[in-house]
Amino acid sequence: MADASPIGIFIAGVLTLGIFSFLYKDNPVYKVCEAIFIGVSAAYWAVEYFYSALYKKFWLGVIPPEGSGADPDMWLWGGAILGVLMLCRMIPKINWLSRWPLAFIVGATAGLYMMTFFVSNAMNQIASTMQPLIQDTFLATLGSFTVAIGTVTGLIYFFFSKEHKGIFGGAAKVGIWFLMVTFGASFGYTVMSRMSLLIGRLDFLFSSWATNFGQMF
Amino acid sequence: MKRTIPWIITIVTGFVLVIAEFVPPWGKMREDVLIYFQIISVFAFFLGGGSLLKINLQKVFSKRTDWEYALVTVVGFFVMLALGLFKLGNPEMATAGYAADLNANGSWFKNLFDAVKAPLSASMYSLLAFFIASASYRAFRAKNSDATVLLVSAFIILMGQTFVGVVATGWMPDWVSFFKVENLSLWLLAKANLAGQRAILIGIALGIVSMSLRVILGIERTHLSGGDE
Amino acid sequence: MSRLSRLSISRKTFLTSLLSLLVFAAYSAPLLAQDSDISVTDSTSAELEGAPAAPTNVLAVDHKYDIGEAVDVSWDLSFDDTAGMRNVAGYIIYRSVAGSAEFDSIGAVFSLTSSFADIGLTRGETYQYSVSSYTLSGQVSEPIVSAEVTTEREWFDWDEVWVFILLVLIGGSVMYFIYHARKGKQMFLRKIAGLQAVEEAIGRATEMGRPILFIPGIHDMDDVQTIAGMTILAKVAKQVAEYESRIFVPTRASLAMTAARETVREAYMTAGRVDAYRADDIYYVTDEQFGYVAAVNGIMTRDKPATCFYLGAFFAESLILAETGNSIGAIQIAGTAQPAQLPFFVAACDYTLIGEELFAASAYLSGEAKQLGSLKGQDVGKVIAMAAVLIGAVLATLGSEEGMNIETFRGAFHGIWSVFGGGQ
Repeated sequence: MADASPIGIFIAGVLTLGIFSFLYKDNPVYKVCEAIFIGVSAAYWAVEYFYSALYKKFWLGVIPPEGSGADPDMWLWGGAILGVLMLCRMIPKINWLSRWPLAFIVGATAGLYMMTFFVSNAMNQIASTMQPLIQDTFLATLGSFTVAIGTVTGLIYFFFSKEHKGIFGGAAKVGIWFLMVTFGASFGYTVMSRMSLLIGRLDFLFSSWATNFGQMF
Repeated sequence: MKRTIPWIITIVTGFVLVIAEFVPPWGKMREDVLIYFQIISVFAFFLGGGSLLKINLQKVFSKRTDWEYALVTVVGFFVMLALGLFKLGNPEMATAGYAADLNANGSWFKNLFDAVKAPLSASMYSLLAFFIASASYRAFRAKNSDATVLLVSAFIILMGQTFVGVVATGWMPDWVSFFKVENLSLWLLAKANLAGQRAILIGIALGIVSMSLRVILGIERTHLSGGDE
Repeated sequence: MSRLSRLSISRKTFLTSLLSLLVFAAYSAPLLAQDSDISVTDSTSAELEGAPAAPTNVLAVDHKYDIGEAVDVSWDLSFDDTAGMRNVAGYIIYRSVAGSAEFDSIGAVFSLTSSFADIGLTRGETYQYSVSSYTLSGQVSEPIVSAEVTTEREWFDWDEVWVFILLVLIGGSVMYFIYHARKGKQMFLRKIAGLQAVEEAIGRATEMGRPILFIPGIHDMDDVQTIAGMTILAKVAKQVAEYESRIFVPTRASLAMTAARETVREAYMTAGRVDAYRADDIYYVTDEQFGYVAAVNGIMTRDKPATCFYLGAFFAESLILAETGNSIGAIQIAGTAQPAQLPFFVAACDYTLIGEELFAASAYLSGEAKQLGSLKGQDVGKVIAMAAVLIGAVLATLGSEEGMNIETFRGAFHGIWSVFGGGQ
């Protein structure tokens, strides 16, 4: 942004104010900003994906540029065929073919995620909870008991097939408190970073934009 | 037929990718699938972008409420699309031809990105500061014990990050130093918060295993709708 | 994952080798010319004057559990690297293809490095390696030759065997209960407030004559959370159709739009109201995260939906959406598996499905025995996880001082497995 043209900075500032005006209420200026935002960004990503996926990954993959020494990756045609099947949706007679790529993606996502999450979330988290409970200091010991109890009661809260009552219900209650502490911690932790986002934007308005404004008029 | 083939595709893809985790020669499949996905989604954009244009143009031609804004969207879309696809004003076009960097400095695509898309995005993001303030106010009127726990924990963590909080508990003698807000907030983050995170993460993994199995086994098949549209 | 780490190692190794080779070449071009084809027979007799002590114990082993294109070479550091003259600048690694006495240098590493991963080999070929140490002034020790090694392709990654066993246990219990439920066995399921409120929320919108807004997250169909969102959308849309209400589904991704259209259309068909289905109510907005949010904010303030669902993957926008929804007085039901966004939904929405509950929701709403059975299977998974946490912590307390980690697990499984002769 540093080397942006004065007109660019001017437009950027106006659009920033337009978005902020939504805080007061929905208004024509916000609507214009929103409309520009949707149109420009949709095209931006269309172009970006076109180059990165279709041109660079697919096209240069199946027809490697001369001298690159790479072999054509024929497997990539599979993706293109599924992509074309997707477009069959636009032709009423064969639009049911578009369910094939969809079925492929859903199956692939289920298969990939199942393994990734099973290893990274379940196995790794369980393994790292297996720490000695008794530590050198009282506070550290308290800490490791807290982690173990919190993890177990938190899991009890998620139980679906057992009613939350009696001792089990009590444990589930402790579990939900742990979850709430976790939520509170993320909440409190995020407040400051969100404030700094706003400060960054106001800084742009009051320094770059205002200075630029003064120079332009 | 129209239901069976997609169902078989889901089952086979799902199982093969689960097994690929354990079979080294199949490992590359896991990477290929990600590229497949990117390629398919570019094609799918013809459907999404088409729907975006259709809806907005319909609004413009039938002069429905707010049609003017729909027109702005359509114009913005085509301007950005043309700048990007034809790489207008791209200084690298002279030397690199069509392989020029899309976001080369000085290209009109990049200029429009800097003057329009980037500030709009940053401004929308920064609205969060106001929304987090209103959400904090809402949380402040804690309705029940759960909300109170959330509030207290958020308050301690927030105070632990600020100068005021540290000063406010600075008078405490050493033997209760654990309760100084900076220590307390650190302990909350490192222990109680960690426990909650773990329970959530382990639960999510189990939920995903179960849901993925329902999808792969074809018990959950809402995505494989039948009929002949 | 192992593949990625290997690639990153190889790039590092490549750069290191390149650098060392450049340094080496600059100092010893003549020497290298004469030495590039060291044959095993001369090397034993070659006693180079002033050369550093050679590394010892050179081992070359087939890289485990790969597709047969890598060999791991390792050695004990030269005496002059750690002690002695301390003049070793690095090590050069040579390779010969079986039967040939010609060793070609294939890479170099810095001093105090005692391993090298040779990748991109041919499966089933036999190789032999040798390693020399060299000094900055260009002296090269005699090469020490390894035993022959043949690259092999493995069909099972035994490092992952413990993942496999646990997956079979947990996945097996999910499948067992799915099968068990089919037999019509009744089971208890606790209530989830957010899901009980779904019908009431749709009814309220109908009474008020206002639409329902459904956001299936901001990720595409390659996120399992989006799929979970779609499965819930199916149930919600069916009720909307039955109540003759109206549902809007703006999406951030084109594929998600297509999937949502299929889902809603199917739901309307099941409800027998396919004529009321409007494809244009389910539409793509933009792939831009905050552009999408700007648009959804606009929809909320203008169409004033009475009920908003946010079910899927959400990021920073979670709070913008939920607070805007709050300002128009909508009933809001949210659910995500993004731990960092859950607090904002909890604070600003009426009901929030926390992590695992999001994935269980469609099973709950379907009421089908098979789907509900899978939830009981998940609970078995929780019992296993809890037992592992508790037993593990107790064992760690009684046993090792350092605690356990994933390597302990791997080691233990590996040990048990090798007792039965598996894996090796």
